[in-house]
Amino acid sequence: MSSPLVRRCWALLAGAWFALAGGPAFAVRDEPPDPDLPPPSKIRDLDYGDVLFHFFQDDYFEALVRLEVSHALGRMPDHAAEAELLAGGLYLSLGLHGEATRRFESVLAGPVPQSVSDRAHFYLARIGFQRGYLEEAARSLGRIRGPLPGSLEPERRLLAANVLMAQGRYGEAAQSLERWTDGSDWTYYARFNLGVALVRTGETARGRQLLESVGAMPVRTEEQRALRDRANLALGFALLQERQPDPAAAALARVRLDGPFTNRALLGLGWAEADAARPERALVPWLELRERPVLEAAVQESLLAVPYAYAQLAANGQAADQYRHAVSAFAAETARLDESIAAIRGGGFLEAVLAAATDPAAKPDDADQAGWLWQLKQAPDAPHTRYLYQLFASHAFQEGLRNYRDLGIMQRNLERRAGSIEAFHEMVAARESESARRAPRKAEMMAGTDLDSLEARRAGLEARVAELVGARDVTALATPEEATQWRKLEVLVARTAALPPGTQRDALAERVRLLRGTLAWRLDADYKLRLSRLRASLAETDAALAEARRRRALVEQAGDLAPRSTEGFAERVRGIERRVERLQPAIDAAAAAQERLLADIAVRELEAQKARLASYATQAQFALAALYDGASAGGAR
Amino acid sequence: MHPNSSGDSRGARGRLRRLACVGAFLVAGCALLTPSAGATGSSPEARTVDQDVQALKKELVDLNRDLFRLEEELLYPASTQVAVFLSVNLGTFFALDSVQLKLDGKDVANYLYTEREVEALHRGGVQKLYLGNLKAGEHELVAVFTGKGPHDRDYRRGTTVRFEKAVGAKYVELRITDRESSLQPEFAVRQWE
Repeated sequence: MSSPLVRRCWALLAGAWFALAGGPAFAVRDEPPDPDLPPPSKIRDLDYGDVLFHFFQDDYFEALVRLEVSHALGRMPDHAAEAELLAGGLYLSLGLHGEATRRFESVLAGPVPQSVSDRAHFYLARIGFQRGYLEEAARSLGRIRGPLPGSLEPERRLLAANVLMAQGRYGEAAQSLERWTDGSDWTYYARFNLGVALVRTGETARGRQLLESVGAMPVRTEEQRALRDRANLALGFALLQERQPDPAAAALARVRLDGPFTNRALLGLGWAEADAARPERALVPWLELRERPVLEAAVQESLLAVPYAYAQLAANGQAADQYRHAVSAFAAETARLDESIAAIRGGGFLEAVLAAATDPAAKPDDADQAGWLWQLKQAPDAPHTRYLYQLFASHAFQEGLRNYRDLGIMQRNLERRAGSIEAFHEMVAARESESARRAPRKAEMMAGTDLDSLEARRAGLEARVAELVGARDVTALATPEEATQWRKLEVLVARTAALPPGTQRDALAERVRLLRGTLAWRLDADYKLRLSRLRASLAETDAALAEARRRRALVEQAGDLAPRSTEGFAERVRGIERRVERLQPAIDAAAAAQERLLADIAVRELEAQKARLASYATQAQFALAALYDGASAGGAR
Repeated sequence: MHPNSSGDSRGARGRLRRLACVGAFLVAGCALLTPSAGATGSSPEARTVDQDVQALKKELVDLNRDLFRLEEELLYPASTQVAVFLSVNLGTFFALDSVQLKLDGKDVANYLYTEREVEALHRGGVQKLYLGNLKAGEHELVAVFTGKGPHDRDYRRGTTVRFEKAVGAKYVELRITDRESSLQPEFAVRQWE
């Protein structure tokens, strides 16, 4: 009996292997990019505020496009460093690590405030860690000089602890955590990671202590509940490893009955009871588990655990029934696996995954928001995907799936753009046509406007004014009527002088002199006023001439630019059209490659699950045979 | 069956072996939780596809940038461009529902806000509410804001600004602020050249 039992144990425990593998290998949080945001009242470039308006709605692609446009047009001079930092964060959100790194390094190349450079170092460290460049990540973290604002500071600490752990420097990671007492969610994530790492490296007491602190953390959100469950699950299995079934059962019993870790906790709880030699109590969680959908490894294992417990209780008849049930359930499940493998190989695999993963409550525009916030919230229950729980939980698979989804979004974006290109062609054509229509009128107007002649006349006038001012020629400013009177008086003076001398001539001469003097006096009295008016009039003429010159220059410039700029637009539209035509098949090809890659991974996983089920079925059949042998031997005796 | 009462040595041996298995499993189980950096486990093929996708995404961002710019330059050249922005500074006395814009007596924008957009404005986002063309000269902009004012009462307020449009692009910012002295919202206008 011992040999089949050992094998059965292995079968059961090989499945439990998956109990802890259901989540990402490392507890992490995905956070959106966090730019160096000024307070709302401090926005100094409206276009930067426009970028933030879209960014704050999680519309990262639109925010990035607007940011790049405003950057290219130099519209954010007062927020240049923050804008570059935000661009890096947005590229990171789209999964463009290379471009994000380039942007953060570009921020650091210039003179920037410490708050900005600290953030750039932080994001570089995050990218380094995600890409597996631990030394670079540690170096970037070491360059951060001050505490980061808001939630970035606890995230920095978590990242620093994660980097240390990834480098195997658990002692230093533990020390850094001990100094960290703010009680934020990030602390709990770090404690969880370190606790698991310490258990694995043999420092179980310290590891358990950390896991216990996370397992008893106060919770308000679903994320916190899931982390607490996970800590209790890990703690329970760590205690099982140490042969402490009662504390293990206590930890596992703290896992929620309706959470993502329930099945694994129920399986472990059963093992804890069995380890405490209470197979009748082990049956309680295992029988509960047995009733759940068979697609999960923990449930599959419960099909073997239940008859094992019955056998321990010497209820061999029930054990045999349960083994037979397990064999038949494994066969049915294997047939469904074959069906799924065929469906995946048949194509359309990722579309089915995405269709199943789409939140029906999401707004239509949400569907097109590519970015790191997009995650599969739960494993889809589509025929293609029902077995792929573990795959969806893996970072690499989610990244691949996100790439595929982003490619679909990109393709739809391009289709919309291709539609608008036709409109751009029409706009350029309309502009050319309008330009051609206006050309003759413009030419006519330009030909009829002799500004040079006007300019010469104005210059002559100014010279005359200067001359009369120099000579103080008051008669030059006479009105036409006064000028006539003055000329008549001049004639009278000459005629009077030509008369024969005598009293009559003298009387006439005196009268003419009086009249002339009166007129001269009036002209002299009004001279300053008249001169001032003349100068004002000249200034107005100057302004009118300047305006005329400016308008003419504009018209000339428009005449010069119109054909060239229209041609420029047409060429730009054609260039964009060529890029769209080139990108569309490239995106299709990348999507197909991504789908092949993920389908291969999925099929490999399903084949592995099939192999595991086959192994379970074999173990069940051996155990059944052993039960029959025992019954036969008993009967013979 | 309890080990102390059954006297079944085979059961006891079986449990011991099983527990040995438990120990072996837990080492393997915890190995899965060993910290590891994100990309270290991906295959060369996966990395190639990922690089291709990254390059395509960058090209798409560039393409959209160029199209956005072309559209603006073609439809709203700087010489005639006028843009109206809306921002909120504090805004505790007014919950924005909608804004109507009239330029020289013509309706040019009528915008209803979602909760998400209002939140984005409160966090410091500035909405480009209207983008259009105007000839150089004097113009009149009328903005009518509706929403909930103090004490959750329906609130409707208008503000008018006359502005001179020169040769370059003209930016007008409508800003909703708080007037602390009267505990009322204030609708200010700022002109940018």
